[in-house]
Amino acid sequence: MKPAVFDYVRPSSVQDAVSALASDPDAKVIAGGQSLVPLMNFRLASPTLLVDISRLDELDFIEVRDDKLCIGAGVRQREAERSVVAARSCALVAAALRWVGHPQIRNRGTVCGSLAHGDPSSELPAVAVATDAEFIVRNRTGERVIAARDFYLAPFWTALEEGDLLTEVRLPVDTPGIQSSVREYARRSGDFAIAGVAIRGTSGDGTPRASVGAFGVASAPVRMTATERLIESGDYSQSALDDAIATDVPSPTSDGQADGTYRLELLGELVILALADCGGRR
Amino acid sequence: MTADDVDDVGTYPDYIVINKPVNQRPLRGDVVRYVGAPIAAVAATDRYAAEDAVEALAATLEIDELSPVMTVEQATSDEAPLLYPEWGDNKVVDLVGDRPEVRAALDAAPHRFTETYVVQRQTPLPMETRGVVAEYRDGRLSVWVSHQSPHIARTTYAMLLGLREADVRVVCPRVGGGFGGKTHVYSEEIVVAHLAMKLGRPVRWIEDRAEHLVASVHARDQRHVVDVGYDDEGHIHAMRCHVICDVGSGEVFMAGTCPSLVSGGVMTGSYDFPNLEVSTTCVVTNKTPAGAYRGFGAPEGVFVMERVIERVARLVGKDPNDVRAPMILQQSQMPYTMPGGGRIDSGSHQQTFERVIELGTEALQRVQARFEDDPKVRVGVGYTNYVEPCVPTYFATTGHWAGYDAATIRIEPDGGATVAVGVAEIGQGMVVTTRMLAADALGMNLDDVAVVMGDTDRAPYGLGAWGSRGAVVMAGSVVKAAEVVLDKARVIAAHKLEAAAADVVLEDGAFTVRGSPGGTAVTWAEVATAGVIRTIELPKGLEGGLDAAATYEPYALEHFPDESGRIHAAATWSNAAHAAVVAVDLRSGHISIEEYFVVHDCGTIIHPNVVEGQIVGGVAQGIAGAMYENLPYDPETGQPQFASFMEYLVPTMSEIPPVQTEHFESPAPEMPLGIKGVGEAGTIGPPAAITNAVCFALADYHLDITETPVTPMTIRAAIRGSKDRT
Repeated sequence: MKPAVFDYVRPSSVQDAVSALASDPDAKVIAGGQSLVPLMNFRLASPTLLVDISRLDELDFIEVRDDKLCIGAGVRQREAERSVVAARSCALVAAALRWVGHPQIRNRGTVCGSLAHGDPSSELPAVAVATDAEFIVRNRTGERVIAARDFYLAPFWTALEEGDLLTEVRLPVDTPGIQSSVREYARRSGDFAIAGVAIRGTSGDGTPRASVGAFGVASAPVRMTATERLIESGDYSQSALDDAIATDVPSPTSDGQADGTYRLELLGELVILALADCGGRR
Repeated sequence: MTADDVDDVGTYPDYIVINKPVNQRPLRGDVVRYVGAPIAAVAATDRYAAEDAVEALAATLEIDELSPVMTVEQATSDEAPLLYPEWGDNKVVDLVGDRPEVRAALDAAPHRFTETYVVQRQTPLPMETRGVVAEYRDGRLSVWVSHQSPHIARTTYAMLLGLREADVRVVCPRVGGGFGGKTHVYSEEIVVAHLAMKLGRPVRWIEDRAEHLVASVHARDQRHVVDVGYDDEGHIHAMRCHVICDVGSGEVFMAGTCPSLVSGGVMTGSYDFPNLEVSTTCVVTNKTPAGAYRGFGAPEGVFVMERVIERVARLVGKDPNDVRAPMILQQSQMPYTMPGGGRIDSGSHQQTFERVIELGTEALQRVQARFEDDPKVRVGVGYTNYVEPCVPTYFATTGHWAGYDAATIRIEPDGGATVAVGVAEIGQGMVVTTRMLAADALGMNLDDVAVVMGDTDRAPYGLGAWGSRGAVVMAGSVVKAAEVVLDKARVIAAHKLEAAAADVVLEDGAFTVRGSPGGTAVTWAEVATAGVIRTIELPKGLEGGLDAAATYEPYALEHFPDESGRIHAAATWSNAAHAAVVAVDLRSGHISIEEYFVVHDCGTIIHPNVVEGQIVGGVAQGIAGAMYENLPYDPETGQPQFASFMEYLVPTMSEIPPVQTEHFESPAPEMPLGIKGVGEAGTIGPPAAITNAVCFALADYHLDITETPVTPMTIRAAIRGSKDRT
C-alpha cells in the first residue's frame, strides 16, 4: 500500500464533483476503488487528485425509467446483483455480476466503475455492448449520452474525456420471452476470464434471436454480429459457428495464459453453452 | 546506499567445492544479472518517502543493456554471453555420470526411447513475504527476521558484518511460512543490518509481493533428457538421465544447485531400479536465483520417472501399475541402496502402492458414474510412488553446515520445564510437536512444558527448519537431555522416598517406588524445588540444578560422495503413494481433480493433525506445480512476465480438492522413537499423479504429457492435434 502522493476530495454533489474533476487534468474518479487502488499501489497510476463519488445520494439508484434499467454511479455491484428491480428488468446484469471477482470485491466495486474502467476482460462492458446500453456522461459544461458500442476504444481506454464523470448507465429492459446467460472460463475461481460471453436471446416458437457480447478475447468488448446472424438463421454447424466467431473476433488476444486459437475455441464452446441456457438448441 | 557504500561488508563465501564461485556482494555494482537484484537501498522515515526516492533514483541510473541469457539452450550455446566470464562457460555445476554397466544394459535392451521432460520454474511463495528489523545498540546487533534458520542467519550476519557471533542476536518470531525460500540468507538482511549500524537507529524492511516474486528465490526449472531401454514385457532395463537445471544468476546464499542433485538421487524412489546413470548440469541465466523449495528436487525426479513408466506401459500395451508392480520395493529388500547411494532404511512401499490402487480404482468408478451423462467429460486415474529423503546432510546444500542440532532442558523450581531447541517454527507445528514430545519424555503434562525456539540468545545452536528433519533431530536431542535430567530427578526423589534410585519410577507426574502402588509419592514440583531452591533437601554430595544440554546428529549420514559420486545423504526415508482421479472437460480443457488420495508412511507419528496438515498443504503446492504456477521470462529482454498474482496463478481454496489420507507406520530403525519426516511429502506426488490421470482420461487423444504445468490450453492443443492427425 504505497501510492504516490495524491489529494482527495469528497464532493457533496455531482456538480461539485465535475468541478473538482475539471480543476486537475490528472484527477481520477474513485468509487469502489477495486481496480484503481491496486494500480495506484503498484504506481502504475499516479493521479494527483481523487474525487470520491461513492457517497453521493443522487447517484445511488436502481430504477426502471422509459423501458430502461437505470443504474447510478454510486451503486455497488453487490447491490445490483441482489436487486429485485434489476433481476426483473435486465436479468443479464445479475448473471454477469455473479462472475465479477469475489463477493468481497463486489461489496465495494461499483457497476459504473467497472464500466468506466474498460478492462477488456471484464463482464459488465460486454453486457453493455450486447444490450445496446447508454452511458450518461456529465462534465462541467453539460451532459451527453454515449452508446455502448461507441464507448470502448481499446484496453482501459473509453470515450470518456478529461473532466468527464459517468453518472449512470441505462440498459434496455428484457422483453417477454427473453432469456439471459453469461458464461465464462477462468483458470481460478474469481479470476478475469480467458474468454466469456453474455447472451440475451429469445427462442420460443418464432425466429431465434440473440444479442451476443464477448469479453476477454479482444482489446475491447465485442458485439458478435456475425454470430447473431448465424443464430437467427437457426441452422448452424460447428464449422459455421467457428467461421462466425473468427469474423467477430479477427484479432484474438494472445497472452501467457492463453493463445488466440485456444481463446476462440473456448469462446465457441461458451456460446453453445450460453445458447443452451437461453433455451436454444445445441 | 549503493554498492560502493558496502565496501566494508564481506562477500558471501562460496563454500561448495563443486560449484564455481559467484562472489555474491550484498549490493550489486558493475554487473546486474537479473531483474530483482538489489542494487541500491534507500532509508527514509516512512515507506512512502522511501518509495518516492527509489523512483527518483531509478530515473537517474545509467544502465548499459547487455544481451541476456534466458534459456538452457542459450546458456550452453557456443556463442552465449557469459554471466561470469572467468568461468569460461555458463555451467556452475557439471557432473558427468559414468556407469558403463548402465550403458551396456541400455545397448542390450530390445527397445529404447529418448525424451526430454520439463518442469517449470516456480517460487516457494510463503503467505508472509520476507521482513527484517535490525537494531544496533550497546555494541550488539539484534535482527528480527522472517527466516527458517536463525542460527545460520546469525553466523552469516556476523561473518559479513565483521561482528562476533555473541554480539549478534537473531530472533525469528512466528514465521508465516518458508517452504525453503527462507533458508537462504539474503542480501536485504545484510543491507538492513548494515544500515541500522551506520544510522544508529532501528531499520525495517518489509518485502512486498511484487518484490517477492523477483527477489526471493525461485525453484525447479529443470529439464531431464532421458534414454530408456525396455522390453516387450514392460521391464525397464536401464535409464540414463541428464538433469539440466536453470539456477538463474546463482547469486544466492546458500546456492540453489543441490536440488538438481537430489532429483537424480531420488527419482527411482520406491522402485528396485539399479541401472540408472545420472549426469547433472546447472546453468546460470539472467533470471532470479533458484534455491530451495519444498520437495527440493524430488517432485521433478519423480515426475520424470513416473512419466517414463507410463510411456513404457503405453508402448507395450500394459496397465502402468503392472509395469510398476515388479519393481516396487519389498520389505525383504530393506535396507535398499538406490543407484545414487541413498540407503532406504525401511518402509511400506508395497503396502502403500497396493492400498492406493484399491482407493483409486473405487474412486474412478464413482467419478465415472458422476459424469456418465456428459459425453464431453473424460475421467481418468493416475498413480505415483515415491520416497521422501528425511534428515539430510546440509553439507551438500551449504558446503559448511552438516546435520547437527541441539536441545536444552531446564527444570524450573515449580516442576515445569523450559525446553529450548535449535529447530524452528515456520508454521508447521514444531512448537506443539516439541511440547508433546518433551512432556512425554519428562513425564509431565503438556501445560507444564514451555518451548523456546527461534531466538539465538535463548536457544542452543541448531540448523532450523528444512529438509523434513525437525521432528527427528528435535526428538533426538530432547530425549537425550530428558534422560539426563530424569536421572538426577530420580536420585532426588529416591532420597525423599528413602529408596534406591534404581527403584524409583515416574508415573502420572509423580515419582514412586516401583511395586508399591498407592504408596508415598513425590511430585515433580517437590523434586524441582529441592533441586533448585531448597538444596538443603538434597542428598549429601549432590549439587543443585536440574538442567541438561544435548545434541543430536544422525551417525550414519554421509556428507561427502564416494569416488563414483554415490552418497547416503539422508538419514531416513518416508514413503507414499498418491492417486488422483480427474475429470477433463473437452470443451474448455479444464481439469477438475475430483478425488485425491495419499497413502503415507512417515514412521512413528507424533501429532496426527500436524502430519495431516503437512501432507494436505504439500499436496496443494504439488497441485500448484502440476497445473497452475509458472514464471516465464521474455527471452529477448529478460523481463519477467509475472508481476502479481494475476499472472502467477496460485491455486486457492476453490481449486484444491479435499485430500484423503491413510497411514502406515514403519518406524525408522536408526532414528529416535522411529520418527521420520513429513514436511515435503505431499508436494512430491501431485505433478506425476495428476499428469498420469490426465493422460489416462485422454487416452483417445494419445496425449503424452512431458511438461508441467498441464493447462487447459495444453489439453485443447492435444485434442486439436489429434483431430488434425485423423
